Amino acid sequence: MGLVARVVEQSCIPTVTVSTGRDITALVRPPRSLFVNFPMGNTFGRAGDSATQTKILRAALDFATTATEPGVLFDWPEPWDGPFEYFAGETSPEAIARQKKK
Amino acid sequence: MEPIRYVDALNNKYGSMGFPPYQWSENDTAPWTPLAKPLADCTVALLVSGGISHCNAPPFDPDARNDHRVDAVDPGTPMDQYQIHDSYYDHGDADRDLNCLFPVDRLAELAAAGEIGAVADRHWSGFMGRTYNRSKVIGESAPAFVEDLQADGVDLLVAIPA
Repeated sequence: MGLVARVVEQSCIPTVTVSTGRDITALVRPPRSLFVNFPMGNTFGRAGDSATQTKILRAALDFATTATEPGVLFDWPEPWDGPFEYFAGETSPEAIARQKKK
Repeated sequence: MEPIRYVDALNNKYGSMGFPPYQWSENDTAPWTPLAKPLADCTVALLVSGGISHCNAPPFDPDARNDHRVDAVDPGTPMDQYQIHDSYYDHGDADRDLNCLFPVDRLAELAAAGEIGAVADRHWSGFMGRTYNRSKVIGESAPAFVEDLQADGVDLLVAIPA
């Protein structure tokens, strides 16, 4: 996704990336990144919490106007309201075999 | 809480599945295009990579690798007509309310309030991760995507990896 943002930006369309994977984003370095330390899948908050969703979306849009340095990463200051872990998920042996062919 | 170390976690996961080591993209610099207009005049599009597809379209492969598919998302279609297939994150909340990952309705509200100029005619879902053939992203699929954004007059893209 960061690579796509870089290509879009190179093509003269500004981008802002809103990420929950800080280390990946720091490596790929999209033009402007807002890192939100929430679980992956909850980038803009919880289901039904439209106030938080709007707040983070608005911050991302505003960041597009205020960021001045290519590759800048801004940390959203508000924490998730509890601990969370890496979601390992499950991939079946059949799915693994299928993907190995790609 | 310290951010989760996804690079380490995913390296371990890929290794346990028998995949070759993933070569993470690493860049020291970034491209830059200044926003040319005030937000209130900008047409804004969203792009999400979380396996979201319309219920009438084939689902994304939840375990996809090297999947360059990207679907247009009609901003006017109710979000409960979309489905999520992705094994790499917990989309329980997003299944109930897509806006916690893909804030289509929230963006429409900002447009209605005049905070942005307009919602683009199309949002986008695709470019799922685990792309080993990145030269194809840079040389083919992302440039094709750019043409779609240009056709819609998009002034700003919000990219949401998941």
